[in-house]
Amino acid sequence: MDYHSPDMAEIVGAALTAHAPLITGKPEVSKPEQRDRLYAGFREAGRRLHAARPDLLVMFVNDHLQNFAYNNLPAFCIGLAGSYGAPSEGGAAFMRIPARTLRGNPEWAMSLLEAGLAAGIDFAYSHDIESWDELSVPLHFLMPGGEVPLVTVYTNCAAPPLPTPRRCHQVGAFVGDFIRARPSGERVALVATGGISHWVGTPETGRINPEFDLRVLDHVARGDIEPLTRLTWEEIEREGGNGGQEIRNWIALLGAVPGWKGDVLAYEGVAEWITGCATVWVHP
Amino acid sequence: MIKISYPLNKLLTAIARQHQMKESLTEQELVGHELTPAECAALKAGDTGKLYELGANPYLIRRVFRRRFTI
Repeated sequence: MDYHSPDMAEIVGAALTAHAPLITGKPEVSKPEQRDRLYAGFREAGRRLHAARPDLLVMFVNDHLQNFAYNNLPAFCIGLAGSYGAPSEGGAAFMRIPARTLRGNPEWAMSLLEAGLAAGIDFAYSHDIESWDELSVPLHFLMPGGEVPLVTVYTNCAAPPLPTPRRCHQVGAFVGDFIRARPSGERVALVATGGISHWVGTPETGRINPEFDLRVLDHVARGDIEPLTRLTWEEIEREGGNGGQEIRNWIALLGAVPGWKGDVLAYEGVAEWITGCATVWVHP
Repeated sequence: MIKISYPLNKLLTAIARQHQMKESLTEQELVGHELTPAECAALKAGDTGKLYELGANPYLIRRVFRRRFTI
């Protein structure tokens, strides 16, 4: 039986979700039954997250070239922002959810950054993150009250060459160890967003591969993550599309909570949103 | 090896960050970007498949040429 000292930080829960902007941006184009099931899955993840009473959310997410362009593309970047427009006014119009500002926790993020660099995890960092759907869409459902501050870990999933899934898992493991070693009593929840299969802007735009998605979900449900860490960029690109590369965020989170398993709350391959959409609650 | 065209992605990033959407680019918009003839032709035609083949990032293709996608 695990013993948890009340003086040490604790990971109190974790969620994996899709973040496609059309989930909120164009609800009317989807089939109502698919939309209802997926929204219910998001809300159940939100209910469990709220019940876990976190003091902090660590978000494993990715840029879509809005922050990092081809003149500077970090593999892993810690957000030191004091706040996040999630969404901003402009993003709110596109994603059709209210604009709001969520708090960051730059001191906590700086501690993670410094610890990472000391341990050989060469994080980049940014004081000013423009967040898009990677935060806004999932948090619209998961944290409607916006009450918990965020720390973000951005992984390059969009501009290959990308860090390997194995390296993402190692980085996530470092983040998990960092949290559990903090003598703080903090209650930390983890959220990873993105995926599963989708093809965006490629000649196959609109394709979804439920077979790949269900394979990923099966590994998550069984806590059998090692095969996911062995996936190559080429395999993911072929089976999950360029958007499927975002499962790096999921793999990083799963690295932080070894042995934990996923309850798949919803999976819908929503053609109209060009994405295999899932919500998963991850627990010991 | 992954094919990347830095000139293409630099230009598409600049357009995307101005929140502009295009069907195609004009001759004037291509000046001074060190693009190859094939890249210029694909941009002028708004040929998203060719741009992908030439090493443009698909997220940028989607943002700039959003109207070219039926879904």
